[in-house]
Amino acid sequence: MRAAGRGYGGMTARQFVREAQGGLDLREFYSEFFSRLHALQQDYRLLVTMAEQAAWDALPASRPGPLRGLPFSVKDNICTQGIQSTAGSRILEGYIPPFDATAVARTKHAGGILVGKTQMDEFGFGTFSTNSGYGVPKNPLDPSRSCGGSSGGAAGLVRALDLPHVAMAESTGGSISCPAAFCGVVGLTPTYGLVSRWGLIDYANSLDKIGVLARSVDDCALLLEQMEGFDTKDSTSLKRARTKDYRQELDLRKVKIGLPKEYFQGVDAGIARTVQGAVDALEREGAKVQEVSLPHTKYALAAYYVIATAEASTNLAKYCGMRYGQTLPLEGKFNEFFSRVRTRYFGDEAKRRIILGTFARMAGYRDQLYLKAFQARTLVIRDFERAFKQVDVLAAPTMPLLAPKFSEIASLTPVEHYQMDILTVAPNLAGIPQLSLPCGELQGLPVGLHLLADHLNESALLGVGRAWERLTRPVEEG
Amino acid sequence: MNAKTGELAMAGEADPAGIMIGLETHVQLNTQSKLFCGCANPVHQDAEPNTLTCPTCLGLPGAKPRVNERAIASGIAVGLGLGCQLAKEMFFSRKTYFYPDMSKNFQITQYEVPLAAQGSLEAQGKAIRIRRVHLEEDPARLVHGPRGTLADYNRSGVPLLEIVTEPDFRSPAEARAYLQKLELILAYLGVAGGIFKSDANISLHGGERVEVKNITGTKEIEQALSYEIVRQSSLARRGQKAVRETRAWNPDLKITQEMRGKEGEAEYGYIFEPDLTRITLPQETVAKIKATLPELPDQRYARFLKHYALPPKVAESLVSDLDIALLFEQVAKEVDPKVAGTWLAGYLKKTLNYNELSFKASGLQPSWIVWLLQLFVRGGITDRNAEMAIRRMVDEQLPPQEIIQKHGLAGPVEDPALLVRKVVEANPRAVEDFRKGEAKALNYLVGEGIKASKGRVDAATLRKLVLQLLE
Ligand SMILES: [Zn+2]
Repeated sequence: MRAAGRGYGGMTARQFVREAQGGLDLREFYSEFFSRLHALQQDYRLLVTMAEQAAWDALPASRPGPLRGLPFSVKDNICTQGIQSTAGSRILEGYIPPFDATAVARTKHAGGILVGKTQMDEFGFGTFSTNSGYGVPKNPLDPSRSCGGSSGGAAGLVRALDLPHVAMAESTGGSISCPAAFCGVVGLTPTYGLVSRWGLIDYANSLDKIGVLARSVDDCALLLEQMEGFDTKDSTSLKRARTKDYRQELDLRKVKIGLPKEYFQGVDAGIARTVQGAVDALEREGAKVQEVSLPHTKYALAAYYVIATAEASTNLAKYCGMRYGQTLPLEGKFNEFFSRVRTRYFGDEAKRRIILGTFARMAGYRDQLYLKAFQARTLVIRDFERAFKQVDVLAAPTMPLLAPKFSEIASLTPVEHYQMDILTVAPNLAGIPQLSLPCGELQGLPVGLHLLADHLNESALLGVGRAWERLTRPVEEG
Repeated sequence: MNAKTGELAMAGEADPAGIMIGLETHVQLNTQSKLFCGCANPVHQDAEPNTLTCPTCLGLPGAKPRVNERAIASGIAVGLGLGCQLAKEMFFSRKTYFYPDMSKNFQITQYEVPLAAQGSLEAQGKAIRIRRVHLEEDPARLVHGPRGTLADYNRSGVPLLEIVTEPDFRSPAEARAYLQKLELILAYLGVAGGIFKSDANISLHGGERVEVKNITGTKEIEQALSYEIVRQSSLARRGQKAVRETRAWNPDLKITQEMRGKEGEAEYGYIFEPDLTRITLPQETVAKIKATLPELPDQRYARFLKHYALPPKVAESLVSDLDIALLFEQVAKEVDPKVAGTWLAGYLKKTLNYNELSFKASGLQPSWIVWLLQLFVRGGITDRNAEMAIRRMVDEQLPPQEIIQKHGLAGPVEDPALLVRKVVEANPRAVEDFRKGEAKALNYLVGEGIKASKGRVDAATLRKLVLQLLE
């Protein structure tokens, strides 16, 4: 084995790609990769579908691009041509898309090799990946605990796999940051519109963002460089020149970090202390730190759930057993048939959100709920605009608690469940980029540091992230 | 515009019969591609079912819409043609309801802000207020057959323009006149593709509003509305009231039928279409469309009166068919416009109507018409035979030169006086009747003369010759 001296484990994605471009035996690597993946699947159920044959088929044609030979997994709500894509829902069991999502197509074009589709809450509806139609992924750090959600499989896989790999994931209200925090990996949620949503199975279109879960900030940057950029097939994708390179260093002495006071309230005290400790370390390196206020944070959770469920309830209308996915014998009137299919194959949380969302947009409630939520969203966006006039980056805890045990999750009410997203929904409502980094441990479980930046200021986010990584675990840069 | 009826309509008062009708008309646009994807618009071809489709118009998971700017431009042209205010900024919404012809179980349409609003259309002297004009996508076509119902998604995503009036019609005839005029304006604008369907809202004496759906074209609107007025009046005579409901027009039985229950209007739960961004109409684009807007029927009518000094009836008839109006302008360059106008509005349209053909589909060439009318003006062919020639040209698809020769419709008759003498000799009884003073006998002899000359001698000449001979 070419890299036998040090193994693949410590390699960054860029180092691996360089090895692959230099003639590393990819067949040998993928034999090891898939034997490992099978073992992990047995233990943690991190995948809905393994794409082993497709990977072997793709290897000879793997392009000599910037991701040459790099294994990438894809959250199951992102369409992959010829590979089942269910969004974690039984209603789409057996659905094989005839096209690749733009982000997937670009990653393949750069030489990436698709290895599988990762577990998630059905359509992204959840915080713990317990709402999947295909079993519950377990946290590799402690199988009695959740990976977080909704991109739980992606974060768990990054955590468990001691091999080069990046996970393409997606966030609507915190679905990348939350599992990044619970699994102790890095999660990058880019600015809304930076990565095309063409091929993303919609949860809430005005909030959905394709991003990355990976072992390091640079691994995240590498995939983002390939995925990002304008796409004519997504009208909401941003028309701007591609950045191409997110490797710039950042001088911490020129960085102003804001601590939003509202984001430390109601948070586990140990978590708040750990995050504060990380910020103190950055301050010691020269960063200026100041407290800021995001006064409309209190409206964010409600606004998020109204907008997200209103959009979701229309997105899910198309799943009726008529053209794809699961169906049942044609009997009765069409609406009876549709109802039977939907009753049988949607999970409880999907049904709950369809009902909530439908209610929020109906005459009589539309003004009070749906339209009001947009006003609240505007207030939340203004909060961030004001904050980013004062500081470059905001720092906060990613989640208010550590990765919970499944037994604890079972006793949560739906509202308590939704409250877990309290720290992540506001930046998602505003569509600003977010980076969750591991910043320490409590009781052997990872704590997430959430960095937020202004629209399209991914460079600042990644720059501070790199600085933090250098402070904590000097990674050999490739 | 009839100011009086216009004002009456503005005030929203019912006339003595108490009829109030408003129309919502859907027309498919003839853009090259569909409204939200690049698929070919099926109005241009006869395609096999489900061959003009893609992930977007099939509603596949992960597919997204993108707006066809040409459809917006067509919509703007119609808005301007109907004298509407254009939206400065617009966006699309989702109208959610479940139906098997819907690829996504929601329709992308315009709800809060239509593309255009507050226009007006004058039909038969009455101004009808246009409430709004908006764009939306057509659902798939359902084909009901012995094996059940099949869906053809070729139609899914075809751009539809919905044109909504205020309840300004006071009779089915007014509604029909409006639709005819609307269809004509759309033809002049060159934007209409196919299906032209209306839903009507109708109430009597301030009673409940009944919606009648699926009325195709201009003929059915009068039938459907008349049926509904009779139905509602007879309910009233029996002391019952019309209930607020949605009914469907059945064109085979020529009746309206109950469609949805009376529990009220369907609830669509509109949200903003989150896959599409807001669209601001650039002033330059609007100005460009305005500048290139074709002449509309009313403008052309006025020009025909002024420029060609045509009688109003003739001008109206020419203008009411775009092909004929264009043909007229071509022919009038080479033939006296009054003759050209009378012939095109008269014999030509009569022949085309009889054959149920448009001028384009008739195979007639403008040069044929010019040649024939020039011959007629020179006195080289009789009125009767020129009309005959038009009919034969359509039947046989041959130019007038050949038609006339083949059927002997023109050319000199060597000795008309000799021809008349032979006719008189062959019809002694008619001559006897004429001498007894029966006027009909003269007409009969003239008719026989026309026959004998194969129409090449006109009736006036024959009459003169018969009289000379007998008196
Ligand atoms: Zn299409």
